[in-house]
Amino acid sequence: MTLAHALVYVIDDEESMCKAIGRLLESESYSVEIFSGARQFLARPPHRGPSCVVVDLNLPELNGLALQRALAKSGRGEQLIFITGGASVPTCVQAMKSGAIDYLPKPFCDEDLLGAVEQALIRASEQWTKSSQRKEVRARLATLTPREFDVLKLVIGGMLNKQIAARLGTTEATIKVHRGRVMKKMGVKSVAELVVHAQRAGIASESTDTTKV
Amino acid sequence: VFFLIVSIVGFVRLYFNTGRPWLGYAVCGLRLLALIINLFSTPNVNYGQITGLRHLRILGGETISLAKGVENPWVRVSELSSLLFLVFVVDASVALWRRGHPGDRRRAVIVGGSMIFFISVAAGTSALIEAGVMQSPYLISFSFLAIVAAMAYELSLDVVRAAQLARQLQASEAALRESEQHMGLAASAAELAMWMWDIPRDEVWTTDKGRALFGFTQSGKINFDRFLNVLHPEDRDAVRQAVAEAVNGAGEYESEYRIVLPGGQARWIAGRGRVEFGGGKPVRMRGVSLDITRRKQAELEAARQRDELAHLSRVALLGELSGSLAHELNQPLGAIVTNAGAALRFLARDTMNRGKLREILEDIVAEGRRAGEVIRGIRGMAGKKDAERQLVNLNDVIIGVIRLTRSDALAHDCTIVSELHPMLPKVEAHVVQLQQVFLNLILNAFEASQEVPKAQRQIIIRTERDGDGTVLASVRDFGTGLPAEAPERVFEQFYSSKKDGMGIGLCIAQSIASAHGGTLQAQNAKGGGARFFFRLPAIHEVDL
Repeated sequence: MTLAHALVYVIDDEESMCKAIGRLLESESYSVEIFSGARQFLARPPHRGPSCVVVDLNLPELNGLALQRALAKSGRGEQLIFITGGASVPTCVQAMKSGAIDYLPKPFCDEDLLGAVEQALIRASEQWTKSSQRKEVRARLATLTPREFDVLKLVIGGMLNKQIAARLGTTEATIKVHRGRVMKKMGVKSVAELVVHAQRAGIASESTDTTKV
Repeated sequence: VFFLIVSIVGFVRLYFNTGRPWLGYAVCGLRLLALIINLFSTPNVNYGQITGLRHLRILGGETISLAKGVENPWVRVSELSSLLFLVFVVDASVALWRRGHPGDRRRAVIVGGSMIFFISVAAGTSALIEAGVMQSPYLISFSFLAIVAAMAYELSLDVVRAAQLARQLQASEAALRESEQHMGLAASAAELAMWMWDIPRDEVWTTDKGRALFGFTQSGKINFDRFLNVLHPEDRDAVRQAVAEAVNGAGEYESEYRIVLPGGQARWIAGRGRVEFGGGKPVRMRGVSLDITRRKQAELEAARQRDELAHLSRVALLGELSGSLAHELNQPLGAIVTNAGAALRFLARDTMNRGKLREILEDIVAEGRRAGEVIRGIRGMAGKKDAERQLVNLNDVIIGVIRLTRSDALAHDCTIVSELHPMLPKVEAHVVQLQQVFLNLILNAFEASQEVPKAQRQIIIRTERDGDGTVLASVRDFGTGLPAEAPERVFEQFYSSKKDGMGIGLCIAQSIASAHGGTLQAQNAKGGGARFFFRLPAIHEVDL
């Protein structure tokens, strides 16, 4: 399976290995970019789309594990597949614990690498979809006024217009207007939809129980 | 007078062994000329015309006559001869005196002096008589007597000395016989076989011990070829060459070789000899031979044990390196497998063109070769059989070892910096053993660097020319350094700072260095860490 806009990075200090992996991925129609070191890779602006990294664990200067830490620190979500010419068991365990997709000792089967890359890209595209949706919701949320935001929180908490009006010390008609604007700005038609979006954006609801006076 | 002078000239030449021959010949020649002129001129060489006789009375009432007359111009020949004669004797005496030997000086004074005295007096007297100042010619005779007495004295001294010498000779012959017996005893006690080779006749004489040693029968002639035939075929050329060098001028012969006895048994023999020359040509060679089989076996055994130990330590080194070596092999294998996989997929999808296929296959071939080299390297290190020594550039050895330890360096977070001299002379060495030395030094440097911060973990390998005849390679780290009080202790056997170290690595590295005529030394470097100095004799042929 090939995903549109997906990109595979290959990082290995061995040029011959880079070329070989690049060919293998191209034979399956992946887009590939090759780097001889982790620093060169980090210097590149992040890809706008799902991507994964095939990286040698034993790299001079910045090794595979250090790259994994650096990516995690800067909040980048690239999926990592480690390859190695002979690293110790503790290193592999460390790599897998830190969320690597797979760990492949050289020489590896081409199916193994392609399988790992496919899996990584599926995960990456899921992440990519989620994060792009989250971004959209956040963008919409940003357009709400503070009053509308308060109304939103109370609506997803399951409160009726009357209750909200009482809570905010205003009339039911006013709340109705606010509610209509919120639904419109957030691009939803039902309260259920609004709840899902709010959850994606990580907004906590304010339930009736907790707001009883 | 002619014979007198000739005999004196002869005496001086023979007895003094000095005097310029050409002067002597001139004296005799002139005197002979004077004699001939004397025969052909009337009345003689002295007078052109005799005008009268003088009668003299001498002691005892005898009367002698002296001629009076006109001087013959040819008399100058005779006078020149006398003058040269004087010069000849003075020159010969001075030369004898200059030799400085006390006996020679005495002879110069007594015999030479009396001759000079005689000649001077004779010439002087003649002149005085001519002039009429003196009457008697006797003085000439007396001075002649003096010279005869002096010569007689010298000759009698010589006779006495000859008798003394004869007695001494007898005594020394006896002593010689005795010392020969002593030599013989010593030789047989030391199991030495003495021999003498008459070179022009090509005949070898040797003691009974010698015949037994080489398996020759007690009688029967031995010549050089027969000797060579007893030698182990592999050693014949070396011995022939050693003998040829001695005979052709070196004079001294020395070699160690194997012989094969008739029973097929091999023995090691050491031979030493000296060539005697006569008239610039080799006349004979004398020498001794010794059975050194036991010593040689012990030496070979020691060398075998050293090789065995070196091999063990190499295998241990390989064990330490196994991770690295696996990496070095997996790298090309990985590239091969992946390339082949890619090619198959391109073919399956029919998206392969000839150019791409060629590229992939070329890479596969290159990587396959690389894997082969790694395996050859491992086999060389692990193998027991070490190849012959060969001319190698130390830089190449170092580059190879750095490649071998590359992933180990990564694992230890060490960087290796090499500063290699571009015009390094070659050395003659066993490549594998040199690799072993550098592997040892580099792995030790990794180990020593573990205690210091990562930024400091650098290893500098440098090659340079050390003076004219030496190549120097140094390995420097910035690690914990050597024990300050005794840096050289690291070379001691079973001294190890590592938890699981055997403590033989550096000890063997040092023995490898000395087996190659070089040295391995260690010291703490300024600015921290240790520096090892590996020196080897350079072979002069700059690698361009």
